[in-house]
Amino acid sequence: MELTAQALFTGLLMGGFYGLIAVGLALVFGTMKVINLAHGELVLLAAYIAYALESQTGLNPMLSLPIAMAVVIVAALVTFYLTNQIKKDRELNSLILTFGLGIVLTNGLLMVFSADIYSTQSSWFMEGVVIADSLFSMRSEMIAFIVGIAALGGLYWWLNHTWHGRAIRSVSSNRDAAKLMGMNPTKAELWSWGVAGVLAALAGVMLYVTSVIHPPVGHSLTIKAFVITVLAGMGSIPGVLVGAIMIGVIEGLTTTYFQSSLAELASMTVFLLVLLVMPSGLFGKKGAH
Amino acid sequence: MKYLLETDKLSAGYGAMEVFWDLSLTFESGRTTTIVGPNGAGKSTFLKTLMGLIDPKAGEIRFKGQNYVQEPTWNRINDGLVMIPEGRLLFSDLSVEENLIMGAYPKKTRKSMEKNREHVFQLFPRLKERRNQQAGTLSGGEAQMLAIGRGLMEEPEVCLIDEPSLGLSPVMTNEIFSIFRELKEEKMTIVLVEQNTNQALKIADHVYLMQAGKITLSEPREAVDLKRLEDLYFARTS
Repeated sequence: MELTAQALFTGLLMGGFYGLIAVGLALVFGTMKVINLAHGELVLLAAYIAYALESQTGLNPMLSLPIAMAVVIVAALVTFYLTNQIKKDRELNSLILTFGLGIVLTNGLLMVFSADIYSTQSSWFMEGVVIADSLFSMRSEMIAFIVGIAALGGLYWWLNHTWHGRAIRSVSSNRDAAKLMGMNPTKAELWSWGVAGVLAALAGVMLYVTSVIHPPVGHSLTIKAFVITVLAGMGSIPGVLVGAIMIGVIEGLTTTYFQSSLAELASMTVFLLVLLVMPSGLFGKKGAH
Repeated sequence: MKYLLETDKLSAGYGAMEVFWDLSLTFESGRTTTIVGPNGAGKSTFLKTLMGLIDPKAGEIRFKGQNYVQEPTWNRINDGLVMIPEGRLLFSDLSVEENLIMGAYPKKTRKSMEKNREHVFQLFPRLKERRNQQAGTLSGGEAQMLAIGRGLMEEPEVCLIDEPSLGLSPVMTNEIFSIFRELKEEKMTIVLVEQNTNQALKIADHVYLMQAGKITLSEPREAVDLKRLEDLYFARTS
């Protein structure tokens, strides 16, 4: 019983963090129908910036956020600019383009930082936190979970209650109608990429303090984010949260009761089963594709 | 400047296909102009070109004396040129109320959003009942009401209205036209595109007949002989 509770708790924390990783990809996918296959690499870029600042100046990784955000926003906007140059079959061709950008980024990081594995030097993040006398986690996992939930909640609120957020939803719903309301669709899309950059930077710094980084991590982050986005259904933010927690909990349970090498296999199996029953994802619209 | 809005030898179409040619129309401030004509004559395409949703192939559009051909759609909206499209151009994933709110997106209309929304709910109580429903689930008539309500939220100075009676019951059509009559009394400049010739003629000051991409008749309402219009409309030869 205690073991199960601990597994569920770890999975829940993991899920909040996974949601943070996935939500930037889901936002751009939902608004522009572009799947940014370089998203995981953008997250990893932020993580490396936190590493570089910590190793060079001893800066607390959390304080490197503003710089990481600035760099990743620029990288996201460059990606937006490049995908926007595609005139034909943007949905398909942007896959190839962003996949290529991901490879360029991975190799760029490999060139600058080598293939070594890094993690934060500050042990503060690794200290244990105990909740309700029995549930254990690392401090960094707790922080990543809280940041993840806050970011998802904040994004959901922003999309529903601000002019910029509503404009993004309007443009993705009907481009011509959005123009007729006085919106500039390109500006709205610029905002969604910029915000995706902010979210990727948050995820990257959290990645650095909770885990270890080396260049191939970006690719597996992209896959994780993509799986969660598809599971969620067409850019749905609540769907991302539920899907991410689902994946996190399945991985937690599998690691506890079987072995950690089976964790991804288990989550992928459940992912495929869900799609079999609900082809447009957990929160996707019926008939949408 | 005699005309608030005018076109000069305007041509447009989709891809290689031309829909209308050399249209020179004028719209006077405070007056209601209707463009009638059969399906496929190019009326809606003409309105979309006025709004910049379709790029003209040749010719000029002038609004308040300023050449508009290069102006992006959103600037035209901010200048007070507004289009009420037919009901399919809604934000179908957004709720009815959110659709109305988006009508207040132009900066100068945001302040009076609450008031305008209440006004629209008064005009169309049906929309108030369905305010939290997704716009995509509305019936044809309700969608049309929402498109009109959302357009009014934009506080138009010149309002281009595309086929408002499409898919509406006769009762609803009458109601909508009585709203247009009120707008006309408030001295709004209206450009109304309609297939329902009878209703459209009743509120018009000036009438254009458009057929196969050309204007075949341009007369003040008083001069329009309904019989002759219909003969032209149905291409009857006497």
